[in-house]
Amino acid sequence: MKLLTHNLLSSHVRGVGPRGFPLRLQATEVRINPVEFNPEFVARMIPKVEWAALLEAADTVRTLPHARARPEWGGGRGRSHRRPGSLARVGMPRGDLGLCPQLHLVEVPKEPIEGYEHDEKFLRKMHHVLLEVDVLEGTLQCPESGRLFPISRGIPNMLLSDEETET
Amino acid sequence: MAAVPTDSGSRPAAGARFFCTAGRGLEPFLMREVRARLAATQVEYISGKVFFTTCSDLNMLKKLKSAERLFLLIKKQFPLNVSSVSKGKILSEIQRLINDDPESWLNAISTWKSLLELDAKKDKLFQRAANPPKRKVEENDIINAKKLKTEQLQELQESGECPLEKQTEEETQEQGDFFTEREKSQEAFQNDVVKAADAKNQSNLTFRVSCRCSGAIAKTFTAQIFIHLNDIYSVVGIPVFRVPLASRAYIKTAGLRSTIAWALASLAEIQAGAFVLDPMCGLGTILLEAAKEWPDVYYVGADVSDSQLLGAYDNLKAAGLKNKIELLQVSVIDLPLPSESVDVIISDIPFGKKFKLGEDIKSILQEMERVLHVGGAIVLLLSEEHHRRLKDGEQSSIPLNSEGSHTGEPSIKKCLKPGGKTGTSEAVSSSFEASSQECLDKTPPFGSLVPVECHKVSLGRTDAFICKYRKLHSLGL
Repeated sequence: MKLLTHNLLSSHVRGVGPRGFPLRLQATEVRINPVEFNPEFVARMIPKVEWAALLEAADTVRTLPHARARPEWGGGRGRSHRRPGSLARVGMPRGDLGLCPQLHLVEVPKEPIEGYEHDEKFLRKMHHVLLEVDVLEGTLQCPESGRLFPISRGIPNMLLSDEETET
Repeated sequence: MAAVPTDSGSRPAAGARFFCTAGRGLEPFLMREVRARLAATQVEYISGKVFFTTCSDLNMLKKLKSAERLFLLIKKQFPLNVSSVSKGKILSEIQRLINDDPESWLNAISTWKSLLELDAKKDKLFQRAANPPKRKVEENDIINAKKLKTEQLQELQESGECPLEKQTEEETQEQGDFFTEREKSQEAFQNDVVKAADAKNQSNLTFRVSCRCSGAIAKTFTAQIFIHLNDIYSVVGIPVFRVPLASRAYIKTAGLRSTIAWALASLAEIQAGAFVLDPMCGLGTILLEAAKEWPDVYYVGADVSDSQLLGAYDNLKAAGLKNKIELLQVSVIDLPLPSESVDVIISDIPFGKKFKLGEDIKSILQEMERVLHVGGAIVLLLSEEHHRRLKDGEQSSIPLNSEGSHTGEPSIKKCLKPGGKTGTSEAVSSSFEASSQECLDKTPPFGSLVPVECHKVSLGRTDAFICKYRKLHSLGL
């Protein structure tokens, strides 16, 4: 689950309404995926972003105590690669349970800056935060009702039980 | 109709004439696609086939998304005359179909070769193609064989009974052909076979032979010729690719047929930077087709089923699209998304015994409408039953005029069924666009969702409807 997706999800527990946003994110496994940078696409996403929610989510991911970083499925070679100008692909050997240094997210801008459409540095930071951080395992919590939704294999499960969906 | 051969081996300057087979109902989509993608001219269609001329090379031709298979046209002409069920007459008609105008054969073959020279490393072999057999070949088959050399046509002795059968149009699922490759042979063989059963004449058994070759005998042929004879036309062509266009290299496990998935996406007005949702994505076929065609878009697929989502995950991984498409496990009637947050919704609404929705189509549409932006489009594939239920909903909200009929008002839903007119090829230019009128002065059936257009398509054994809606205004919920 990308942080862009988290930014769009809202709890639909009955009676919660707009107080169901944003969902509180807890991640236990995160992966950093290199994604091809498309400045126009990022610029188009910026207006959709709820900044407070994004900052909160990025903070949670950044400061995870037991975060584990996994190599990209089918791509990891067990060695870190460093590419200039962007964060490295995570290449930790499996079984390493330590804090992954690559989870130091680039600082997330507090708000869109004037003329952001043409500011490549800004767009690259947003690109990284919104599209390259993938929460593989964790939970989302409804801030109003406390209901927990699990995230597994990067897919959040937000199905409500029959009782919960009754009006 | 004859293609212009070139010397240099580059693409034909004047364009070559092709035809594609297409699922019934997809012809308008394919016509629009060949015009847009290949700058095709002289575009016309008959039920199940679209004919066009283009200068494009194989790489562009390979990208066609709403076609089943692609053929180089050798000849297309009026149907064979079967007014007299006389063996001799029918035989000579068929002979004429094959033998007349050898130039058309030679031209097509040389275009075919020059197209492949740009591409292929090995020679392809000519071989007679099989039409999907309607019935099994009987014991007293006689196979008529002809040798077709590249320089001249020769006839062998033919025998057998061959009045033509009225062939029902069943073009949607093509059978596999039997291409084999061989390094050297230039010789082309053609088996000429047409037989059919005559219902009246039980004693005189007649039959049609379709010839499938595999193994050693298949290697003696250099390529395939495809022949389709019916009441409306006689068409002869050479398949251009080994594998049907409809079979996609990037889709591991197809749910919905890829051509229909692409057609749904093509109606949805997907723009760069849009948020596109498929709230009943199943194996993700629609999102895969859309993401391949419109890559700079944010795609989200949702489904309730664990197994479907696992399959979708696999598909995304196999296609290399995991970074483009996000997955959620949510229910379509309860989407955890804020109102008016989605730009486009595309979905194949499941139907049939396997599907246990429990909710009806109206609640699904209501929730879709809630999350959709004003002005956004919804494109759905609906079963006949779903379609009927929705239509009933619309009918009840239409004010009738004094005569108690709906005439005099622009129709809410025009259901196009291309191929309804038989007997002529026609260029369908206006009907596709004309159907996309919005009825702004009608009471919309679902909040503010207004039907825009509707197309009946064949899914093989059943039919379904591609329906597009637009959200006019917010309900202020």
